[in-house]
Order: sequence, then structure tokens, then C-alpha cells
Amino acid sequence: MSAFPNDPKTQVMRQVQQEAAMQNARMLVEKLNEHCFERCVPKPGTSLSKGEESCFTACMEKYMSAWNTVSKTYVARIQKESQQASGLQNTF
Amino acid sequence: MDLGGSSSLSGLDLSKLSDRDKQELQQFVVNESQKARIQASIHSLTDTCFRKCIPSGTVKNGKLDKYEEPCMRQCVDRFLDANMVVLRELERLRQ
Repeated sequence: MSAFPNDPKTQVMRQVQQEAAMQNARMLVEKLNEHCFERCVPKPGTSLSKGEESCFTACMEKYMSAWNTVSKTYVARIQKESQQASGLQNTF
Repeated sequence: MDLGGSSSLSGLDLSKLSDRDKQELQQFVVNESQKARIQASIHSLTDTCFRKCIPSGTVKNGKLDKYEEPCMRQCVDRFLDANMVVLRELERLRQ
């Protein structure tokens, strides 16, 4: 980001990025837990069974694939629409 | 490892930043906020579409199958279409 890793500007930037990444990770963990607990532990027993644990592993993988699919589709759509918008501005 | 979230910024004196640096920082924050908003939308869309596309019950396979993957993509696109319909309709009512 800068040739001087300790200047105040770079420090602020790094801090902002770290916090954004943290917030993103926190959100993902929350959603993973919410969805996968609902699916994998319909009736909570005295401990997590092996089956429930492997369900969690599969569910997490699936949710993260879904997240990536959404991310790609959404970003592609935003790009397409912003191109159209700038195209329209040029037309009128 | 630096765990002190905001504490590492406490010793900084931002008043010493040059005008150019301040401007650059401001632009940086604007860009980061936009990225954060997009990311929040992705989380919310994944939440909504996962509910619709991946039937309830235990998950056996970690991969998205050939129905789930297109369903997720269509779900995102139709959600955004629907969003446009809402905005257009509200715009029409406003006039």
C-alpha cells in the first residue's frame, strides 16, 4: 500500500481493511452456524454425534460454495448494470 | 501478533497528515464502505437463496449439485429483478 509501512495513513488503511475482513468472517461464521445447526441438529442430544459432525462439515462446504456462487453472480450483475448505466448516460 | 484492534491506532496523530494524504484516506474509506456494503448484500443473498435452493433436512454432500448451483444463480438474479420492480413501482406511486 505504501513504501512506509508505519506512516499513519498506511496504518489507518491497514486497520480499516482488517476490520472489514473481521466483520466479514464474523458474518460468515454466524450464518454457517445458523443454517447448519438448523439442518444438522434437528433434535439436540446429550452430545454432538458423529453423524451430526459430518453433516456440519458437508453443510459448511455447501454454504461456502453457495456464498462463492452468489458473490460471482452478484458482482457480474453489478458490473453489467453499471456498464448499462454509463451506456445510457452516453445515449442521452 | 497484533490483536489490539483499535488500540494500535490510539497513538496516531492524524492531524499531522498532509491534505493529500487526508484526501487519499477519505477516498479509501469511501471505497471500503462500498465494498463492505456489497459484501453485506452477498451475505444476505446467500442466506435467502440457501434457504430456497437447498432443501431442508440433513446435508449429505458438500458440493453444490447440478440443481442447486443454477438455483443459487437464478435466485440472485430474480431477487435483484424483484428489487427493481419494487423500486420502479414506488417511483410510479411517487409521481
